[in-house]
Amino acid sequence: MSSTANSKIAESSKSAEQPAKSETQPHLGVLEEDDEFEEFPVADWKDSETDLAHLGGAAPGAAKSGGDKLWEDNWDDDDIEDEFSVQLRNELAKTKGTGTAMEQ
Amino acid sequence: MPMDFSTFIVQLNDAIVAENGPNLAYLLRPTSPHGKDLVKEFRNPTRSSMSRYDGCMQPPWDDIAIQYVLVCTHVAKKRYIDAFKEESQLVSLFLRFFTENRGWTLPALFSILRDLRDLAMDADFHAKYNGQNSECMEESARIIAKAFGHCMTDRTSPPDQSRKWGVYYVVGLVLKSYFRVKRISLSKNILRALEANTDIPPLSVFPRSHQVTFRYYIGMLSFLNEEFEKAEVELTLAFYNCHLEAHSNQERILAYLLPLRILKGHLPSAELMKRFPVLDEIFSPFIAAIKLGDLKAYDQALEKWETRLLELNLWLSLEKARELCLRSLFRRMWVATGKGTRIPIAMFHSALTISGIEVSEEEAECLVANMIYRNFIRGYISHEKQMVVLASTNTFPRVADRPSPLAMI
Repeated sequence: MSSTANSKIAESSKSAEQPAKSETQPHLGVLEEDDEFEEFPVADWKDSETDLAHLGGAAPGAAKSGGDKLWEDNWDDDDIEDEFSVQLRNELAKTKGTGTAMEQ
Repeated sequence: MPMDFSTFIVQLNDAIVAENGPNLAYLLRPTSPHGKDLVKEFRNPTRSSMSRYDGCMQPPWDDIAIQYVLVCTHVAKKRYIDAFKEESQLVSLFLRFFTENRGWTLPALFSILRDLRDLAMDADFHAKYNGQNSECMEESARIIAKAFGHCMTDRTSPPDQSRKWGVYYVVGLVLKSYFRVKRISLSKNILRALEANTDIPPLSVFPRSHQVTFRYYIGMLSFLNEEFEKAEVELTLAFYNCHLEAHSNQERILAYLLPLRILKGHLPSAELMKRFPVLDEIFSPFIAAIKLGDLKAYDQALEKWETRLLELNLWLSLEKARELCLRSLFRRMWVATGKGTRIPIAMFHSALTISGIEVSEEEAECLVANMIYRNFIRGYISHEKQMVVLASTNTFPRVADRPSPLAMI
């Protein structure tokens, strides 16, 4: 049974066995199966009417370090302070303290 | 004032004499207002009842004019398969004229091929609805491919008036048809023919609508064949050359470009994602998890979206991008422990455990080894000492800095 058929069933019958599943799968707009790449209403257009406009000479997709603000290539963060980070640090300090994690 | 058949013929003739392609396209479009007028004029026309008009124009135009009336009539009566068949005939007749003329005819060619494809879609849709078998879309792909051949083989027109200016648009239509009937393997033949022809002007000098559509389909074919490097190049160019107001086309391109850019180490900026809320909803959990090294959240997102990601053929690429999340997790552990150069395997194992990923220590070692092999981490493993010895500089190179990141996938 294909996954397509399954999801169709989930969509069409609200009282189906997997109501939770259909809720978690949002609507995908143009990405739905029956849509396709659309005809353009005009044949040609200028740079200023495209995403090339903001590049100022940078190569498309060069990312921020290359002058393209649409993509980040420097996203490593050394200062994340959240629950996950603190927990990680505590646990690892513990591991370090005992010499080896095997003893736990 | 309604247009009658004799006026229609005069106007067709004028457009041909004036070599006015857009006007010719308009006159041959079943949805143009005069289509309805002609349906009323003839009520129930057939090929034989129309035969009195044979010779009313120079061939093949007398037949084309008659075909047009038949198409409009079938469309009006909702006889979709018949409409498609008569339109196929109209296209075949037009191709006879097309091969003897220059590029001014291209707007008319594009228009009738689009109509042919639309009628095929309607025909197949209604046949399916009525439980019948219908292969009009396959047939239309064959006819459009034939038209492509007639664009390619123009050896007489001056370069600026060549029918070759139609090749990319027409190939785009063929590929679109193959995708529609899910027979994308058929694309190979037509693309081979395109590559074999060396005297076509470069794609970049064609109208942008031709470029973007063509690159989108080439990008998609490469993506589905797991040729990710090529897919990334083509979809990037398609996205950046797309008209900003063609939002759904941009969204469609971006859906497949995003995982490729992520694999490359370029995460979409918030500014970009804000423009595409539907994609933001799908991709933001993955992007957030990669930034945080939250492997558990990444796996949960993969699981939650599994059905749709599989339907869209996006699951595989996002599953591959999971290793970026693993890299971030190991990197955060490394930062949290003071960026040392000697870190026991046990610590990598603990990082995974805290993240909610249950694996054995051997498996953890294996994951680290793979990270090193794939250039995410610089260092080596001392297996006897169960120790990872890390490079003192550039320990975790930026993901985007790895050599040919998409080739290694």
